[in-house]
Amino acid sequence: MFEARLVQGGLLKKVLDSIKDLVTDANFDCSPNGFSLQAMDSSHVSLVALLLRSDGFDHYRADRPISMGMNLNNMAKMLKCAGNDDIITMKAEDAGDTVTFMFESPNQERISDFELKLMDIDSEQLGIPDTDYAATVKMPASEFQRICKDLASIGDTVLISVTKDGVKFSTTGDIGSANITCRQNTSVDKPEEQTTIELNEPVCLSFALRYLNSFAKATPLSHTVTLSMSKELPVVVEYRIGDLGHIRFYLAPKIEDEEMEDEA
Amino acid sequence: MMDNKRSWQGGGSKGPPAKRPSGSGGMDDDLVAQSFEADADVADEDIDLHIEEEMEIDLGEAGRNWERPAAPAINPQKDPLVFQQLEVDYFVGAPNRSVHRTDLLEVPIIRMYGVTAAGNSVCAFVHGFEPYFHVEAPSDFGPDDCDSLCDHLNRRLKERNLKARQSKFCVAVVMEQKQTIMHYQAAKSKAFLRIVLATPNLVAQARGMMETGIKIDSLNRTMGFVTYESNVLFVLRFMIDCQVVGGNWVEFPVNCYKSLAPHDGNKMTHCQIEVHVNYKSLISHPAEGEWAKVAPFRILSVDIECAGRKGCFPDAEKDPVIQIASTITNQGEPAPVVKNVMTLNTCASIVGAEVMSFQTEHELLKRWRDLVVETDPDIIIGYNIQNFDLPYLIKRAETLQVADFPFWGRIKKSKLRMRDAQFSSKAYGTHDYKEITIDGRIQFDLMVAIQRDHKLSSYSLNAVSAHFLNEQKEDVHHSIITDLQNGNAETRRRLAVYCLKDAVLPQRLVDKLMYMYNYLEMARVTGVPMSYLLTRGQSIKVFSQILRKAREKNLLVPNIKVQGGGGDGVGYEGATVLDAKQGYYREPVATLDFASLYPSIMMAHNLCYSTLLPASRLREVPPEDVLRSPSGDTFVRAHHAKGILPEILEELLGARKRAKADLKAATDPFLKAVLDGRQLALKVSANSVYGFTGATIGKMPCLEISSSTTAYGREMIMHTRELVQKTYCRANGYEADCEVIYGDTDSVMVNFKVADVARAMELGKEAADLVSKTFVKPIKLEFEKVYYPYLLISKKRYAGLLWTSPEKHDKMDTKGIETVRRDNCLLVKNVVTTSLEKMLIERDLAGAIEFVKNTISDLLMNRMDLSLLVITKGLTQEAENYATNAAHVELAKKMRKRDAATAPNVGDRVPYVIIKAAKGAKAYEKAEDPIYALEHNLPIDCQHYLDHHLSQPLLRIFDPIMKNAKELLSGAHTRSITVSTPSLASGGIMKFAKVRLSCLGCKATLPPGETSLCKHCQTKEAEIYQKMLTNVNELEASFSALWTQCQRCQGSLHLDVLCTSRDCPIFYRRKKVQKDLGEANAVIARFADW
Repeated sequence: MFEARLVQGGLLKKVLDSIKDLVTDANFDCSPNGFSLQAMDSSHVSLVALLLRSDGFDHYRADRPISMGMNLNNMAKMLKCAGNDDIITMKAEDAGDTVTFMFESPNQERISDFELKLMDIDSEQLGIPDTDYAATVKMPASEFQRICKDLASIGDTVLISVTKDGVKFSTTGDIGSANITCRQNTSVDKPEEQTTIELNEPVCLSFALRYLNSFAKATPLSHTVTLSMSKELPVVVEYRIGDLGHIRFYLAPKIEDEEMEDEA
Repeated sequence: MMDNKRSWQGGGSKGPPAKRPSGSGGMDDDLVAQSFEADADVADEDIDLHIEEEMEIDLGEAGRNWERPAAPAINPQKDPLVFQQLEVDYFVGAPNRSVHRTDLLEVPIIRMYGVTAAGNSVCAFVHGFEPYFHVEAPSDFGPDDCDSLCDHLNRRLKERNLKARQSKFCVAVVMEQKQTIMHYQAAKSKAFLRIVLATPNLVAQARGMMETGIKIDSLNRTMGFVTYESNVLFVLRFMIDCQVVGGNWVEFPVNCYKSLAPHDGNKMTHCQIEVHVNYKSLISHPAEGEWAKVAPFRILSVDIECAGRKGCFPDAEKDPVIQIASTITNQGEPAPVVKNVMTLNTCASIVGAEVMSFQTEHELLKRWRDLVVETDPDIIIGYNIQNFDLPYLIKRAETLQVADFPFWGRIKKSKLRMRDAQFSSKAYGTHDYKEITIDGRIQFDLMVAIQRDHKLSSYSLNAVSAHFLNEQKEDVHHSIITDLQNGNAETRRRLAVYCLKDAVLPQRLVDKLMYMYNYLEMARVTGVPMSYLLTRGQSIKVFSQILRKAREKNLLVPNIKVQGGGGDGVGYEGATVLDAKQGYYREPVATLDFASLYPSIMMAHNLCYSTLLPASRLREVPPEDVLRSPSGDTFVRAHHAKGILPEILEELLGARKRAKADLKAATDPFLKAVLDGRQLALKVSANSVYGFTGATIGKMPCLEISSSTTAYGREMIMHTRELVQKTYCRANGYEADCEVIYGDTDSVMVNFKVADVARAMELGKEAADLVSKTFVKPIKLEFEKVYYPYLLISKKRYAGLLWTSPEKHDKMDTKGIETVRRDNCLLVKNVVTTSLEKMLIERDLAGAIEFVKNTISDLLMNRMDLSLLVITKGLTQEAENYATNAAHVELAKKMRKRDAATAPNVGDRVPYVIIKAAKGAKAYEKAEDPIYALEHNLPIDCQHYLDHHLSQPLLRIFDPIMKNAKELLSGAHTRSITVSTPSLASGGIMKFAKVRLSCLGCKATLPPGETSLCKHCQTKEAEIYQKMLTNVNELEASFSALWTQCQRCQGSLHLDVLCTSRDCPIFYRRKKVQKDLGEANAVIARFADW
């Protein structure tokens, strides 16, 4: 038996909105530790890791670990029917083939339940090993979203260079080029508007803007975003979801075409 | 052996070598150079020197059996010479005055090449035939004006040909009584002028002068003429006038020809028998009765291998020819008499074949030339020889400066000629090719023939032999060939075996597909030389028949100027199609067909060039003798004047009837093959007559005829529908009101609404007879078959079970459904075919639905065999030239970046699969090379296959039958999927991601330390292990089966399999099983303690 009750049901809706464009079908793992998902996007360039810890839920019960396969579009269709303030409860039998979503309005006037047929998805579980990153940038999520959006209108690829003074996003396209630099500012009163950089050594990597823009769909989940980078390693774009957990996006850096050829 | 060499070499070699025209010399130069008194045998001398060297190479037994059977001595005073001619050409040279009395210095001389019944090769020089054409004589033109016109033409032609070594250009102008074929002519004949010229090239010049206007001195005015039969090729002209048809038997009677002794130094050809004859003594035997036989002509099948450089397609200027395989087969014999492979560098011996090894390419090429000359083949076949093998050999020899290589035609001093040419035909499309002239030897490129006659998804020799011979062949990619060549004698042997197979297969295909018989009969029926059939379009065949018929009737065919632009502007209404009443018919549906619809309309209504009556001349014929067609054109009725086309058609169809009757009676398999080829050729020819009249850019377009023909056709279909529906109804005492549910061009489908097949057949026959009675003979509606059940999807799309006898169905028949389309993947074809079979044959709708669901489920679970998902499209031009982004073009570009050696080139068909890509990626970005996808475990985009390939065809066939066909595509069976993990090498995030182990029982993430099962599944460990083990065992079994199959195909069970044939389903299965097996083994290894 799996049961999880989340008073801030809106969070679950936002989580799903942030990943459903990247991943179509995925297994959710419901273990005593929490509710999690790891999946690659269909072009296997990026990877999504979601973790909602069990202690963040108002009520959480997982007798044994189970894996629920869902089509994320269909799941999103059902969650759309929940109000933003609704309390959402997920329920599933250990060997069942459905999951139930129950939505309760805050004043308990309306209770609805939706049953989604589960899918049997045979796929391997993937994860990126934790490492110490050479550079970690913490910045306002909305700022990051805006930068990605603006640059995408100029070019396809963004070069992110982190130095101790700041982080520079630059791109070049057919029509011209663009550079945006965010300086470190810790003086601001509000911590969510700070830009901080922890640096062991300067890093300079390029990424496909198309994916970063997809990741930025998670902006409503958190005020800040953390970018962690090391040379020749994927960037981690992390949004914290309150006390509940986090959503992490991993994106492989762009490598010049010749190198790709050699490895193939 | 020494003697053999001498025998074909013939001629003396005296005097210093003179300079020959260089290789690029035009065709005419070469022809002129071969006059009888041609200068010293230069080329021969070169050959001489080199052969001396070659004699030292020890070739053992090889070459002993190469020659044709020895020719008997010929005595023109006692024996007639009879042979089957296969090829006819001509050259311009000095006349042989012993058989042709003339004072011209240069005349055209026809050469007929052929084979006697004993298998000896013959070349006959036919002298005395003169080129000519006709013009209509002006009314006041008298016999005396002929000389004046002749002189005038002579003067004008002389001005244009100042350099020509010729005494006279226009030989004669003669008045003759003839009539034109165009329009109905009341008068039997009128005066025409026959203008006879010295050489064929003057015909076009003289025609131009006559058409643009010429001054006739004796009448003292300038006038232009319409010319008649001025566009007939000289060789065809000769054949028509001597009643020679392609591939028939000809005879030179006793005392009428002059023969050259086999070792005569004046012999000009390599043929065993060489004779000179005047065309007047030639007797041509119509290909009937005894003369339908086929001489044992020799077929050479050839294939070459080249050692290309890494990354490039072999280029004759850089890459050596390393092997040449040849087989010689006598037509009619089951096995080749010679199987030879010549290799560069040593090669281990091959059972059943001669292997000859050479140290240099020079020797290799020259010895092969000798092979051709010694074996003396009549026909050279091969796969893609026209565009690859033969041009490559010629270019290679040029690059290596093997000057005496390109002399393996039958004319001793004539070099092979090669030029770029373009073939353009409405029926076969336009393409570039290399035109190679090998005097006296017909080239038959099997690839061209198969591309014309069959629609296949791939035209590689591999795919073609798999299709027709049911045999896969090893496909060694050309990038591996160099490695094999650089290995040792054993690896080269392997290559030689492969090369030899490529030479044997075309011969087997030719035998299997009856190409020699079919093409020979086509040549005999239509009267053109065999070599025209592949190098020219459809219209020359009909044109040849019209010319022959017209000559018989003393008619002349005008040279109608082709209207520029042609085509669309002057279109006419085509055939009619009755609306299809869509649905699934559970009653038997009878099909009534018009037998040879268009030919019979033309015969019934006497539609012809010579019966067409222009509206302005209606008054010339009594109204009761005039027929107005539904399209408004008027023709004279048959009893007033019979047309040429109806007569040709009657003969063709009559001959076909006889051939079919003979075929039934025949027992000899060779005769049967000939007769079947004949009846087929007759049918095709009869049907192409209509097309000929409608071809606006053809030789003789006459839209009045073609539009009248289709108009009659339309009227008849409508009439049939009305009559059948009016007759077979309750009111007339029949079981039910019948319904015509569909009709197309020449057929009508009637649902009599009876439950019984036998009854439907009975009614069908009755209706056919009833309707036939209302038509003019020979139009006949025939009851042919019943479809039961019948699934009618839309016009030109249907499927049904075909019955011709009430006891048992014959087969499933489909049209326009994805069972045959070639641009689809095999999956679609299989699913559609199987579900139709289940629906129609087994009548098991539930089973069909179940099958479709299972297939879709397999697809989504990634259990589908990759070969079923491969789509192929032809790359018709350089990738850069495509205006739009097509999937196969993008892929070709991508592959060229990866490895230019294996990337597809223009003309290749590109196979690809659709893989998953980023959201919003265009379809063309998702194409991937199947082998690359397989090797890197790239996930297949199953949803794409479901949405774009399967859904439409499936909905089309299931919609008429079941209520909610969409359920097929989105039911419970679609909720089980597999997302495969790409291999590390595929790049992207996979290089960094680590696989986390999950429970093999329930997929839950495993805690560290555990490798197989979570603690909840531990209890079922034995069961799960057993399941995995069974899986491994199954995969192992199927892998070894596939591996062995591939080893058998390559002919050795001891060697590794090299084959990478993209056309072979086994190849993909082998690859996929190999990979699955590796994965399954890895899983088993996770059970640590078992």
